[in-house]
Parts: sequence; structure tokens; C-alpha cells
Amino acid sequence: MLAQVLAGGLSAGSIYALVALALVITYKTTEVPNFAQGEMAMVSAFVAYVLMTDFQTGFFVAFTVAIVFAFVLGYGFEAVILRRVRNPTHLSLLVVTLGFQLALFGLAGWKWGAEQRQFPFPVSANEVLRMGDVSFSTLGVATIGISSVLMVAVFAFFRFTKLGVAMQATQQDSMAARINGVPTRRVVGLTFGISSVIGAVAALLTAPLITLDTTLMWDPLLKGFAAAVLGGLNTPVGAVLGGYLLGLIENLFGAYISVEFKSAVAFLVIVLVLWFRPSGLFARHYKRKV
Amino acid sequence: MGSTPDYYADVQLLRGRGSWVKLAILLVVLVTLPLVFPGYRIFTFNYMAIFVIVGLGMNILVGDTGQVSLGHAGFMAIGAYTTVLMMTELGAPFPLALPVGGLVTALFGFLLGLPALRLQGPYLAIVTLGFGLAVTQIIGHSAFFGGHMGLVVPAATLGPISLSGDIAQYYVIVGSALVLALCARNLSVTRVGRAFRAIRDSEIAAATMGVDVAYYKTLSFALSAAFAGIAGGLLALMTGFISPGVFTFLLSLMFLAMVVFGGLGSIPGAVLGSIVMGYLNLEMDAFEELPLLGPALESFSSRFMSSAGLPNVGWVVTGSLIVLTILVEPKGLHGLWIRLGAIVSGRSAGSSGPPADPSGPPAGVS
Amino acid sequence: MAFFAVEGLTMRFGGLTALDDVSFEVERATIFSVIGPNGSGKSTTFNCINGIHRPTAGSVHFEGERISGLRPHHIARRGIARTFQNIELFGNESTIDNLMLGRHLHMTTGVWGGVTMVNGRTRAARDEGENRERVQHILELLDLDSVRERPVRELPYGTQKRVELARALAMEPKLLLVDEPSAGMNAQERTELGERLGRLRTDLDLTILLIEHQLQLAMGLADRVLVLNFGKAIAQGTPEEVRRHPEVIKAYLGDE
Repeated sequence: MLAQVLAGGLSAGSIYALVALALVITYKTTEVPNFAQGEMAMVSAFVAYVLMTDFQTGFFVAFTVAIVFAFVLGYGFEAVILRRVRNPTHLSLLVVTLGFQLALFGLAGWKWGAEQRQFPFPVSANEVLRMGDVSFSTLGVATIGISSVLMVAVFAFFRFTKLGVAMQATQQDSMAARINGVPTRRVVGLTFGISSVIGAVAALLTAPLITLDTTLMWDPLLKGFAAAVLGGLNTPVGAVLGGYLLGLIENLFGAYISVEFKSAVAFLVIVLVLWFRPSGLFARHYKRKV
Repeated sequence: MGSTPDYYADVQLLRGRGSWVKLAILLVVLVTLPLVFPGYRIFTFNYMAIFVIVGLGMNILVGDTGQVSLGHAGFMAIGAYTTVLMMTELGAPFPLALPVGGLVTALFGFLLGLPALRLQGPYLAIVTLGFGLAVTQIIGHSAFFGGHMGLVVPAATLGPISLSGDIAQYYVIVGSALVLALCARNLSVTRVGRAFRAIRDSEIAAATMGVDVAYYKTLSFALSAAFAGIAGGLLALMTGFISPGVFTFLLSLMFLAMVVFGGLGSIPGAVLGSIVMGYLNLEMDAFEELPLLGPALESFSSRFMSSAGLPNVGWVVTGSLIVLTILVEPKGLHGLWIRLGAIVSGRSAGSSGPPADPSGPPAGVS
Repeated sequence: MAFFAVEGLTMRFGGLTALDDVSFEVERATIFSVIGPNGSGKSTTFNCINGIHRPTAGSVHFEGERISGLRPHHIARRGIARTFQNIELFGNESTIDNLMLGRHLHMTTGVWGGVTMVNGRTRAARDEGENRERVQHILELLDLDSVRERPVRELPYGTQKRVELARALAMEPKLLLVDEPSAGMNAQERTELGERLGRLRTDLDLTILLIEHQLQLAMGLADRVLVLNFGKAIAQGTPEEVRRHPEVIKAYLGDE
């Protein structure tokens, strides 16, 4: 019983971790949380859906196209809109991401309406794996597996590839990076592209679990944001840990205390953590010099 | 050395005969409006006035004090539910229930302001977002608040006058909006408003000059919450029915968007931005009925998009407006107004005018 | 009992010791200058005095009372004002509004008062009017009347520095901390500044603590000088005493 709850928590936590990671890598570059990433992910999931249902493509083709689409969408958003903001204060950038989110949400709703659709996935949400007398959701296990692989790949990318290192440099000090020949503009665009891809994977893993509609990513986005805040907005590892932590806490709370207020727990945890550690559990602190 | 009245002129609302005339015209228009237009239009005006009240509050918090809130729909809900419950549970008359609703909401605003003291931008945004959602979740799950089914608003009276009709509600709502606009304006040109803006521009300097930053930040939250709470109570009056489904994150987003769109820090900007977005929010379901544009949208929808999804155009428009505002004229409508004025009077628009970030101190009746 | 005393002031940020056991006293109605090379801890000293940092060790006393550890707005209430090295004006506000913020502690209007300011006879109106009148003569004293209504972020750098000074003066402080007021000024402006500061001391009975990079200005103006280097006090005394101090000469060799 406990094993199932924990597995469920890890599975949900994987989604939150992905969303949190996607948030943090763009946050580190722009110091602004990208609220549009949820809807970008949702639209990507719809792209996959349309390909599979209207065009009868297989899952993996649809998946690939959706990923590419997500990348282009993310990169495009940064290059065409975000970069053009003339007075990039934190508030104005935040508001731009909110506006884009709203417009995307509207466009998706306009195009696809409010009906809920069943998302075709190689693994059904109802399948179970049995280990002894405990049964785990196959989809949940797949989610944990796929997201772990993706996150490891992302971390490896940042650590070991030239581009990844360049991105880290840009995040830490864009002026120094530029002086050292890093094409910071392109790097920031790529950061958004990669973030969008991570978000799209999260959406593609969420869609089979709950049905696909335009509000698909609302809850995961909020939870992912909460997880990132919990872990610390300027540390990717912290954000991921925050995601798993949140998933576990939430599921434990839901299983043993109250299912109804399961979601409210997320908010409560955040407020409690931030009260004692205003920058998150694992973050580093920066102070402004006067 | 001039005598004191000279210096008061700096902050005086009505300077010179021109201002009095403009005020008179404004009042005449507002008073006669409901006598000229049909019932459903009055409903629209009421709705826009309610948005204006929220916008004034948001301007205090975001425009003047430089904070952020993605959860103001939650405050609106608190005000609405407090007002209604005071009437149903305690039998309080509406004129008492409404201000109490505002005060209770102010208290919650103060409470939310406390964590705000320690949190920087994005953290604050997410906490306020969480707050707004938590409020509606708690209301939705609680039988006392009517759960997801909501509450019916009992008939309200202002003394002997019934407030069940559109016109009576108009005078109450628009009248409240006018009074609150005056309050907001007066607040902004005096000591408290200056303290707010000082915190926005340089918290360290403000503290150095003796401003108790913690007090004023929480005060700012409390005040802006109170505005939203009163707007909530008035919304309850207007619609006769409240449920948690009204006070969504999307609504909070609208509230933020409208003050940015209008021009942060500018009261006329906040008012205008709120009017526009309030109208958009309300008319979203009825886009097909727009003259000319409506049928075009309708046919475009059925060909390329889905017909059923047409109301979502409202979100597309709002979202695009927000993005365009930031890209083209970050100072919002107020900024456009200044630019227009500069062009008309032949000056270069760059020199004086609204600030790079939120706009400058509000003028008198303009 | 000294008017203003700093004793054993130490400030550590993580591994970095910005100030190490600094002590000095300032007498009323004098100009006391703190000088030293860049990074020697001058601004940090000010930040400790006006409450922006809580000192790691040591204390600051003003008029016999301990102020170290208090928060900035409480220290302001005791009558200490300051300007900043990097201008910390309220950029979007006009000159007059910046100065009026300097009057914050002297004014009483709160939310209710502000909101109910319906005519010129209300208490809030009188509060506004009286304080604007007081601030007017500061505007004129510092030649700022012509830019009274302009948003300060539009003003030239030198003017902004004057506004910062004016704003601090609007507080009617007993002790004024001035942080590198001559930065960005030419020789003539510096001379005017020096005269201005000197007049403030005599006309307003003001005690001034001055951080100044420009040796000539600091030495010419000050009654007493403290020299910092790498966070330590290396010399203290009258300008003549300090000028001849071997440690000071060593510290400044190679500097400008």
C-alpha cells in the first residue's frame, strides 16, 4: 500500500520535476518565470494528438514532431517576442509571458474547443505491473522512467557539451559570456527551446493520465512552479528535488489525511518553506550592493 | 514666501474653473447614462465599474508600490462571500455588509502582505497565485460557503430603496467607483502614496528616509485587497449569485493585465484599462453579435477553428493586447496619451512624460 | 559623552572582512571626513551607521544612545540622514516629491487623512502645504527650483546629486552622512560643493560625516579625518596630522 502511494508520488513528482526544471533553466537566464511554458506544452500535446487522430501517424512520429514543434515554439517566443521587450524589467517580462500564455490558451480553445479527448499512448493508464502483491501503474512507471532519462540527458548536456556549458555561462553572467565569444542571444533562444521541449514531454506524459483538453497543464504548471520555488528558483537540481518532494508529500497527504485538499497542500507547503527560507530549500542567496 | 493655500494647489484636485467644468460634465454624463441606455447595457456599465474598482486597488499595489499579485480574484471572492454571508447569516443590511466585506478582505490582504515582505518578485507572484487558488478551493470544498454550487445573494436595500433593479445598482456601483477613485487619487498625492512609490523606486532609500517599509508594504496589500473586496461585494449585488467558479486565476490575470495595459502608476490609466478589459471579459461570449466583425469571425471560426470555441477569442485578444502593450508602449494607455499630447503640442515625446517603468504622479481631473 | 561615536565596528560578509575594528568619534557641528582608497570600507561604514547592515561586532552610538542594530527607518527617526554613492533617488518621481518624501517623518497624514483631503482646510491639506513651503527654501538653496516638477531620472547626473543632498536635508537631520558627493563633478562644481557643505555646517548647525574620494575637498573641508585602508583605520586626526602620517602616504602611493 505504502509502496503504491510512494510510486504514485514519484510518478506525479516526475511531472512536477520536469515542469520545475523547464522553469528553472529559463528563469536562470531571464530572472523571470515563464508562465507561458504550460500552454506551450499543452499546444505541443495537441499537435501530437492531431497527428495521431487526424493524420493517423504512429505515436513515435507524432511524439517527435511535437517535440520539434515545442522547440520551435519556445525558441520563437524568445526570439520574436521576449527579446523585443524594450524595457525588460521583471514585471514587464513576467506580464509578457502571462499575455502569451493567455493568447495561446485562447487560440487552443478556439481551435479545439472544450471537449475532453482521450490521448492515445503506447501504455494505457489502466495497465498495471505486478510485483508480488503490489501493483504499480505501468504508465506511472513509464513516466518515472522517461522523465528520469530526459533529466539525466539535460544535466549531461549542460555539463558536458560545449553548447551546454555556454548556456550555463550565459545564465551566470551574460556580460562575461558575451565578452568571451558566447553567442548569448542564440543561447538564450536555445534555452527557451529546450525548456519548451522539457515542458512538452511533461505534457505528453500527463495527457494519457487525465484527458487532453486546453486546461491540461494548469495543475502541473502550478505544482511545477511550486516545486521550483520549494527547491529554489536558481538551482535546477533543487527544482527537480523539489518536484519529487512535492509529489511525495502530496500523495502521502492525499492517501492518509484528506483527498479533498490534496492540492491545497502544495500551496501550504510552499508558504511554510518560504517563510523560513525565502529563496527555497536549496538555493543560494545573492544580495544587492549599495 | 507664499501662504499655505499656494502650496496646497500642488495637490489640489480641482484647480481653476476648467476643472470644475470637466467635473460637472463627467457627473452629468454618469448620472444620466442609465436613463438613456437599456437594461443590459446598464449591466455592462456596472460590470465595468466593478473592474475599475479592482483596477484602482491593483494600481496601488502594483503600479505605486511595485509589488505583484496573481491572486486578486481571491480577494474579490473573500469580499463577495463575506458580504453575502453577513446578509444571510447575520441579517445585516447591504450598506453594512459591504464595508465589512471590505474590511475583512483588507485583513486577508494584510495577512498575505506579511510573507510578501520576505519574498522577491517571482516568489511573490507564485505565492499570490497560490493564495488565489487556495481561496477558491477552500470555498469550493466547504458546505458553509455553499461549495461549488455557490450562494444566492438575498435582495438588498439601501434603507427604503430597493437595490434589485439595474438602475439602482448602477448608482450604487458607479457611485462607489467614483468615491473610491477619489480616495485613491487623494491617497496617491499625499504622504502614504509617496511612501508607496518610494518603496517601488528604491526600497533602501525609502527606509533611509524613515519609511517603515514593512508597514507600508503590508498596508499596500491591505488597501488593494479592500478595493477588490468591495468590488466583490458589489459583484454579488449585481449578479445575484456567487460561486467559486467566478473567481478564477484567469480573472486575476485580467486584473493584472488591465493595470499594465492602462499604465502602471496612473489612475486614469488604471480606470481606462479596467473599462476596456472589463468590457472584453464580459462580452467574450457574444462576439458573434459584433457588427461587421462578428459574422466574419463566425465564418472564419467554422472554417479554420471550431465554432464552439469562438468565445476564446476574448482571451486571444486580451493576451495579444498585453503582449503588444509591453512591446510597443510599456507605459500603456497612459503612455500613449502622453505621446499623443506631445505630438499635438509639437514637443518631442521623449523628454518629459511618464517614467520608464510605472508612470508618474497623477494629475488632477484631466 | 560624544555626540556620535563608533566603537570597534566590524563587518564581515561571509569570508570577507569589510571593516575591522574601526573606532572614531565625531563632535557636534563639525565636518568629519572618511577617506581611503576604493574598497577600503567607507560606504560599508555608512551602511552600518544607518542600519542597512547589522554590524558583525562593535557599536554605534548617537547622542548617547546605541543605534547599531536598529533598522534604517528607526535610525532616520533619530535624526540621521544620508546620501548614497550610487544615486538612490526615487527616479520616477519629481524633484519636489523626492524632497517631500524626505519630510515623511515630519508629516502626520495617514490613510484616513489622505483619503479625506477634500479641500484646503483639512489637516492633510495643511500638512501638505506647510511641508511644501518648508521644502521650498531647500530647493532654492540648492538651485533646484527650476527642476521642481521634473522626474528626477531625466535630470543630469550633477543635478541628481544635488537632489539627493536636498532630500537628505529635507529630513532636517542632526547628523548628515554624505557619500562621495563630488563624484562626477568638475573642479568648479567641487568648489561650490565644498562651500555649500561648509555653509550647512555653520548655518544649520549640522554635523556632517563625509566620505570623499577627492582628497583636496575632504582635507580642505574637514575638521577631523579618518583614513581607512582594507577595512582598517590607519590614521585619525586633523587634516594636517593625517596628511603627514606615513601609513597614509603609503596607502595612497600609486592611487590617483
